[in-house]
Amino acid sequence: MASDYWLSKLFWDLQQPPAQVEYRADRLKVLERYQLKPEIRAAVLADDVAALAKFSNPYLLRFYFFAVGMKDDEFIGKLRAMAPQENSHG
Amino acid sequence: MAKIIAAYAASHAPLVARDWHILPQHQKDRLSAAYRELGRRLSAAKPDVIVEIAPDHWSNFFINNLPNVCIGVGEMHDGPPEPFLKDYPFNPMQGAPELAMHILKTALDNDFEPSVSHHMKLDHGFCIPLMRMELTALPPIVPIVINSLEEPMPSLKRCLAWGKLIRQAVESYPENLRVAVLTSGGLSHSIGEPTMGAIDEAFDHECIEAFRTGAEAPLLSFLEAHVTKAGNGAQEVRNWLVAHGAAQARGFELIDYFPVPEVYVGCGFAAWKIAQS
Repeated sequence: MASDYWLSKLFWDLQQPPAQVEYRADRLKVLERYQLKPEIRAAVLADDVAALAKFSNPYLLRFYFFAVGMKDDEFIGKLRAMAPQENSHG
Repeated sequence: MAKIIAAYAASHAPLVARDWHILPQHQKDRLSAAYRELGRRLSAAKPDVIVEIAPDHWSNFFINNLPNVCIGVGEMHDGPPEPFLKDYPFNPMQGAPELAMHILKTALDNDFEPSVSHHMKLDHGFCIPLMRMELTALPPIVPIVINSLEEPMPSLKRCLAWGKLIRQAVESYPENLRVAVLTSGGLSHSIGEPTMGAIDEAFDHECIEAFRTGAEAPLLSFLEAHVTKAGNGAQEVRNWLVAHGAAQARGFELIDYFPVPEVYVGCGFAAWKIAQS
């Protein structure tokens, strides 16, 4: 599956530390600037690693969850819990 | 005329900088020794310019404009944007615009169509080896980005051809420059996918052996068959292929290889054999 442009754009923009600060302070306000499909927006708000992995480059996915404060152990655990067919980039 | 006087490979990982303070001492010692040995060799080779091959980890490019190959022709390059590399010692870095532009023109004259950047940020992929090599001074750099992160990527065969093209460009450059090639990335690792953290030591050892013997066809055949199974980070072996082509596929000397699970990477360090003229 191809990367979702607006989700990827969110992840890419959040590499900037000031953007991370703003996002942590008011996630909903920041998300208004991105034309996310409803199911992707819901997955963002739920920190749903498995769902978002289907729509993003894996490096950007890792950057994003690091930026929002998820520890690597938790992130890796959620990735490993995915069924193989859920991973589009393997 | 310019000539390639050395070619080296080194792995990188963000955690080699970000988590350095918490890595086990034996891993820090071994990583330091490998990087330092590369630095010692690089310094002894006395290069006037380094052509460095690495991926861009979404620092310069995004999917709205994503080159598969980009040559940095700027007079200066910015240091790494990652906050954990704020103490990187060579920031900004001097470019080698005339040689870079010559490589670009040679590429276009030979039916290669790279992208071009007049001001590039060199992220951890470029800078961690340079930092850990403990160089006292950094020669001017021609950065060349090879897309190893987002499908579709340049073919393995094309990456080898890129290396030969770089050699052709260097050897047709009229100034007497000593050029070192440094490639950064690999070996097996997996980032942001269900196998994250896995290191495929069997792949890494076979890969090293294929590079060591040097023959192009079996090397390409092995990589085409196995690289996708060694984790998405293993795609960075494309950069090693560029160096292999630039070094005329003469094989190389392994300086060290060891898995570093704490940084998720099978770490390889090597120096290609270069014909002395």
